[in-house]
Amino acid sequence: MSSVVRPDGAEKLAGRAVYGTDLDVPGMRWAALVPAPVAHGRIRRLDLAGARALPGVVAIGPKELAELLPGAAGDPERPLFPPDEIAYLYQPLAAVAAPTLAAARAAVGRVHIEVEPLAVVADLESVFPEWPGSEAGGSPHVAAHVRARHGPVDAAFAAADRVVRETYRTGSIHQVALEPHACLAEWQDGTFRVRTSTQSPFGVREDAASILGVPESSIVVEGTWVGGGFGGKGASLLEPYAMALAVAARAPVRLALSYAEEFRLGRTTLPSVVRFETAVTDGRIAARRVQLLLDVGNSLPGRDFATGYAIGFLLGPYRTPAFEIEGYAVRTNKPPFGPHRAPFAPQCAFMVESHLGEVARQIGVDPEEFRAAHLWRSGDTTPLGQPVGAFGLGAALDAARATARRWRAEAPPGRGIGVGVGFWSTSTGAGAEVRLRLAPEGLTVVQGEREIGSGSVLVGVRAVAARATGLPPGRIGIEYADTARAPYDSGVFGSRTTAAMGRAVLEAWAALRTTLAERLRLPPDTLLALAEDGPAIVVEGGGRRAPVASVLTAEERGAGGLETKGRHFGSGGAIDPQRVLDGSFYPYTDFTGAAHVADVSVDRATGAVRVERYAAFHDLGTTIDAASARAQVEGGIAMGLGTALTEEALWDDSARLENPGLLDYRIPTLGEVPPIEVTLLPGHPGAGPFGAKGIGEPPIIPVPAAVAAAVADATGAHVTELPLTAERVARALKLL
Amino acid sequence: MPRARAPAAAVAPFELLAPATPDEAIAALRTGPPGATAVLAGGTDLLLDIDAGRTDPTRVVSLRRLPWRTLAWSDGALTIGSTLPLRAVEDDPALRGRLPGLWEAVHAVGSVALRHRATLGGNLGRSAPASDLVPMLLALDAEVDLVGPGGARTVPLDRFVRASRATDLRAHELIRGVRLPESRPSAYRWQRVRPANDISQVAVAAAWSPQARRWAIAVGGVPPRPVRLPEVEAALGTGPPSAAALAAAADLLVRRLPIATDRRASEEYRRHLAGTLFERAVRAAEAAPGGPA
Amino acid sequence: MSRPPLRLTVNGAPHELPDVPGEERLLDTLRWRLGMKGTKEGCRTGDCGACTVLIDRTSVLACLTLAHEVEGGSVTTIESAGEPTLERARAAFQAAGALQCGYCTPGFVVALAGLLAERGASVTEEELLDGLQGNLCRCTGYAAIVRAVRGAREGAP
Repeated sequence: MSSVVRPDGAEKLAGRAVYGTDLDVPGMRWAALVPAPVAHGRIRRLDLAGARALPGVVAIGPKELAELLPGAAGDPERPLFPPDEIAYLYQPLAAVAAPTLAAARAAVGRVHIEVEPLAVVADLESVFPEWPGSEAGGSPHVAAHVRARHGPVDAAFAAADRVVRETYRTGSIHQVALEPHACLAEWQDGTFRVRTSTQSPFGVREDAASILGVPESSIVVEGTWVGGGFGGKGASLLEPYAMALAVAARAPVRLALSYAEEFRLGRTTLPSVVRFETAVTDGRIAARRVQLLLDVGNSLPGRDFATGYAIGFLLGPYRTPAFEIEGYAVRTNKPPFGPHRAPFAPQCAFMVESHLGEVARQIGVDPEEFRAAHLWRSGDTTPLGQPVGAFGLGAALDAARATARRWRAEAPPGRGIGVGVGFWSTSTGAGAEVRLRLAPEGLTVVQGEREIGSGSVLVGVRAVAARATGLPPGRIGIEYADTARAPYDSGVFGSRTTAAMGRAVLEAWAALRTTLAERLRLPPDTLLALAEDGPAIVVEGGGRRAPVASVLTAEERGAGGLETKGRHFGSGGAIDPQRVLDGSFYPYTDFTGAAHVADVSVDRATGAVRVERYAAFHDLGTTIDAASARAQVEGGIAMGLGTALTEEALWDDSARLENPGLLDYRIPTLGEVPPIEVTLLPGHPGAGPFGAKGIGEPPIIPVPAAVAAAVADATGAHVTELPLTAERVARALKLL
Repeated sequence: MPRARAPAAAVAPFELLAPATPDEAIAALRTGPPGATAVLAGGTDLLLDIDAGRTDPTRVVSLRRLPWRTLAWSDGALTIGSTLPLRAVEDDPALRGRLPGLWEAVHAVGSVALRHRATLGGNLGRSAPASDLVPMLLALDAEVDLVGPGGARTVPLDRFVRASRATDLRAHELIRGVRLPESRPSAYRWQRVRPANDISQVAVAAAWSPQARRWAIAVGGVPPRPVRLPEVEAALGTGPPSAAALAAAADLLVRRLPIATDRRASEEYRRHLAGTLFERAVRAAEAAPGGPA
Repeated sequence: MSRPPLRLTVNGAPHELPDVPGEERLLDTLRWRLGMKGTKEGCRTGDCGACTVLIDRTSVLACLTLAHEVEGGSVTTIESAGEPTLERARAAFQAAGALQCGYCTPGFVVALAGLLAERGASVTEEELLDGLQGNLCRCTGYAAIVRAVRGAREGAP
């Protein structure tokens, strides 16, 4: 049983951990972004002279940027500052740096902007009030169109016993990491040194190089501690501005967002409208049609990741003999759609589960039984033809149903019990490299990710190394190094970190074992392990036992130890191209599933929902570290409760966010999260080390579905919109 | 080694005065730049307004040294000084038993850390439509003690509060305290998106006057200001209302309430909520110690 | 305009800070003037509790407190050492592993310490949990924090 005590606990609890917002160096300048005053318009004039007139202020716009960094025009699709057309409200048009934040803000106020307003597209339903016809794919309002089809869809619908049609809507949510984005950039002798709160230092390097038109080799990124990411800190947002200002100011530049800016500029999940049609024959799904309209904000054509990725989730983890799915990525005047935790998957699971629950009810079948009858099993393929692999959702659902039965029997009258399932595609394939360094007194994993909080690096990777080598975790160090010195890693996202980095550790360990065997004159495949011997580490195996010190060369001892490298790049099965009619679908890779149970009480007079208790069953493969896995499940469920019940970012007709703050955008407080039972199910190994599967994102996915099912169970209310606000439940209860 | 400056401050500078006496405070208001002088009690509203650019004072007069952090009972009547932090009101040992609705309303404001600074005077002066204190104080027939260049005066709260950020305060006047004439069985029922650390969408305060043997009902979260509802009070009668009377009074309230739709909740839903919360508040007040039940 | 230096004690150490402008927030005095970054800046609107410090052992939101309002007062932050209720809260969080990213953690620990000091030995778990609702956490789902609160209460002398 793993310890709950965190290795980073002491430093964080002493207030010594330095986050992006804490960066502070002598001579530091404070930066601020100059916001576009409208959501859509042509820039007629951008005059920075007034700002520059203030003492100590540097100001850069598109012109100045081109002079400072001529390559910055290199990627015309991603200009740092839009040269002529504003795409969303508060879009940065220029940036300033000054000796104090007050001076920077005053300078922003002195920038003179003249704009010719253009019509604002605030809402995807204003683009497509009706479902788009075939001509819509060519519309400038569409960033992507995807369509796939398989099986005798039309025939199945024509022959169906019953067809159920429903439309669902989901809203906009935000990651709400407590720490806003923040970074510090310095520029010296042609090299940028960037310290930033990020989920991906190498990603920042790559993005910033592309945006500024400079070589990656001229940028060194060092991650600070991160005050929450949840997908919002996976790509570069602020760094290029700070870097450009550092060149202009010839001084270190700090740029952090205010919390209102976090909401206004953040890239996150945007609204959707989804239409389902399900044909049922003999109590089974015969065919399905799904149409998705997804607001992707200012995403550029070809750059939208969401639609081709999301749409597979709208079929759910279910066997579907025939289907047609179609999605439009609709452009609006908002910041581009960006990744949230399990991007858009909780919304999809809510919609699929609620719809299939309704289908089951209409044909008189128990909704949970209906799900179980269609659920993917190990060895199945997805609707797009990818192998599901070893998949434990069936076991999770069985366990969830048993809990639901027990809770129904125990619950006081008026309570509702609901089950929701979801699946996830973890990005274990995204590349990871590590180095292992074996020294006389310890083993160190040298890698390029800052622990962002989940424990995936400090606890998870360490646990993999411990299990592989035999050393206790306390003798294994995790060394974080910046992008100049660390091996490459894709980033902490996609529930991949422990799995991908762990596989790289295993490979590095295999190389280390081979080298040690050689030095001990043992056959190369001898099973060797490491062990403690007082303060020293010994190598054991093949009848030998030797202190590490004795098998290192003098050079290695001088260099800190013997180093080996390991890397991991994976891929999943291909999508069947025959099934794709248009656009590109993002291939799923390593599958994991989860089934949740929610027990709710509903205030019958107001529609307010209170979750009284909750249970989660996760197909985790092998548990690498139980304490941190459990913590991820607890945290993901709380986030899911926010998505389910209270979180909505409200955009008005001029594409202005009405609630860019933590009073009006409501994440769950301590009193709203119920007791949660967590069960981690082994038995269906994944692509991670020892058969592990990722756990960072799966916990959020089934939550809105489970809560909605419980509300329906309690009251019969069938809500087809997220979040389930009290008013929506009240309307579904016909109280108004 | 401390820095010479704190570069993170992002608001326009202001002069901060902390007068020691009410007269000094009034003088500081009078001599301050007209339209650019603000009063600082706990600061939890004023500083937010400054940060958001809603107000831009160049002189701020802090009340922290004034002798108004007081709370005194006199035969069931209660006087609370305007600069007493709300947490101290909440923690008064006698409050929950004698004015349970006020305890509930105070406890509902923000968070503990916020209530360690936020004050009654600040809340009344700010006069937010969603204030949790104003409806309850209205139902307790609160009076506001004011002091200014023209001397002291007392105004019923119902006349004092006008609209958001608009009160009956005259030039350079300060709220010195609030007076509640009697202890009343009372209850405060609210609806929010989250149960804590939130503001109310709709709220109902109900209080029963043992002396006058009548009900006092006020509704909050309804712009422009929380309101007393004399018709509804009359409909409740002079004792515990029967189920039919309560339902009829609720119906009257739902129909009469001046409510509008906003993005958070439709007018329809708010009316419905108000009716539900009203019935719950009345029944809870009935059941409080000393109630008519 | 010269003003007298601001005198306050931070974690037991006395400070006399000259030229602190009236508009300066306690949060910025601590973080930027004194270089003490342990107290975190989150929302800066009083909604998240990340900036919670104690003034004379009472919790306040440093982002909404003017530095001069604390004149003569005693501030306790996460960086303090040896203050019994704070050490109890800190130890309870460490033992329960009640943190992940750690950004909300100083605010929670200080808020918990404040409640323990304010309410004393007879405080119930429910009162403590109720009193912490002004502190937001996005990582833990509060589950481990609830376990830490339980541990802190049980660890009462």
